[in-house]
Amino acid sequence: MSKDLKFLVVDDFSTMRRIIKNLLHELGYRNVTEADDGTTALPMLQEGDVDFLITDWNMPGMAGLDLLKAVRSDPKLAKLPVLMLTAEAKREQIVEAAQAGVSGYVIKPFTAETLKEKLDKILGAVAK
Amino acid sequence: MANPDPIPLAARYGARIEALAAALAREDENGFFAVLDEILQSRKPALIGELRDLTCNLQVALERFRLDARLADFAEKEIPDARQRLAHVLKLTDEAAHRTLDLIERSGPPAERTTKAIQALASPWKRFRERRIELKEFHELLKRMDAFLPTARADAELIRRNLNEMLLTQAYQDLTGQIIRGVIELVHEIEAALVELARLSGGEPGTAEPAAPRSSHGEGPAVPGITQGELAAGQQDVDALLSGLGM
Repeated sequence: MSKDLKFLVVDDFSTMRRIIKNLLHELGYRNVTEADDGTTALPMLQEGDVDFLITDWNMPGMAGLDLLKAVRSDPKLAKLPVLMLTAEAKREQIVEAAQAGVSGYVIKPFTAETLKEKLDKILGAVAK
Repeated sequence: MANPDPIPLAARYGARIEALAAALAREDENGFFAVLDEILQSRKPALIGELRDLTCNLQVALERFRLDARLADFAEKEIPDARQRLAHVLKLTDEAAHRTLDLIERSGPPAERTTKAIQALASPWKRFRERRIELKEFHELLKRMDAFLPTARADAELIRRNLNEMLLTQAYQDLTGQIIRGVIELVHEIEAALVELARLSGGEPGTAEPAAPRSSHGEGPAVPGITQGELAAGQQDVDALLSGLGM
């Protein structure tokens, strides 16, 4: 998969966005933009040049699950890879995200290896 | 207040009032006060009872008043203060995390520079050790080594300074910890006051329905002993759950 992929990282905490951005840089992905909740992220996605969405769940404004549902119900975005990166760890929530069509689910706190593994897995599945 | 006594007033007091009036008419001081005392004696138990009720009500009212004053104090001053203190905690943790990230990002390039310089020196150095190096390359190696040593030293010092500063940045934990502890104490006091209020107003504890969480909004990080429901034990558990769902 190309390292020119454009990532959108959505999290209400700027430190978490910065951590994810640094890890993505470390993995060679340099094209990363940020948004602080679903409400700001959705128009950025609709502009159409984001290749991969990484989103938190619990955010003020539009939460990550609602953003995921909005993405899946938009015909132009329906196939966008979405990785949920969140502290929400209830089994019912994970099932809920899976049913809403999430591509991967990583719980915080997470490791660089876990992030890499999930990205590779999702991108591998997209490439097939 | 309605008099619950079924015996008519005239039957209870008529004779004594007449005796009192008669004593008054004949200016019989001893007789007058004897009858008056008798009347007062007969009213004593009722008066004491009323006085007791009055004192009890006054005590509840005072307690209530003290509690109301305390609650007003919470609402007007201490809770807004606590909110501000927690906002300050958020600011301190945010600053500390960004400061740490700054230092980490600033340590990356010197580390990278050193790694690259070492990689560039490795093969000429190997040839030198194997005595296979050309004179021209040897001079090149010396020049590179001359450049490398001070740069590597400066870079290593920079990284060490950054690490030291990261160490100091962690002091936020002490500062925020103290503020959070203060807020925990306040919450404890408010809890006690509310329990007292519930007792005074005779409310039954635990009869109200707890507010349902907004699940689509998420609940935030799980807190041990508080968060209800089945939690994933870790990433492996999440992966197993998802693969069980066919992902």
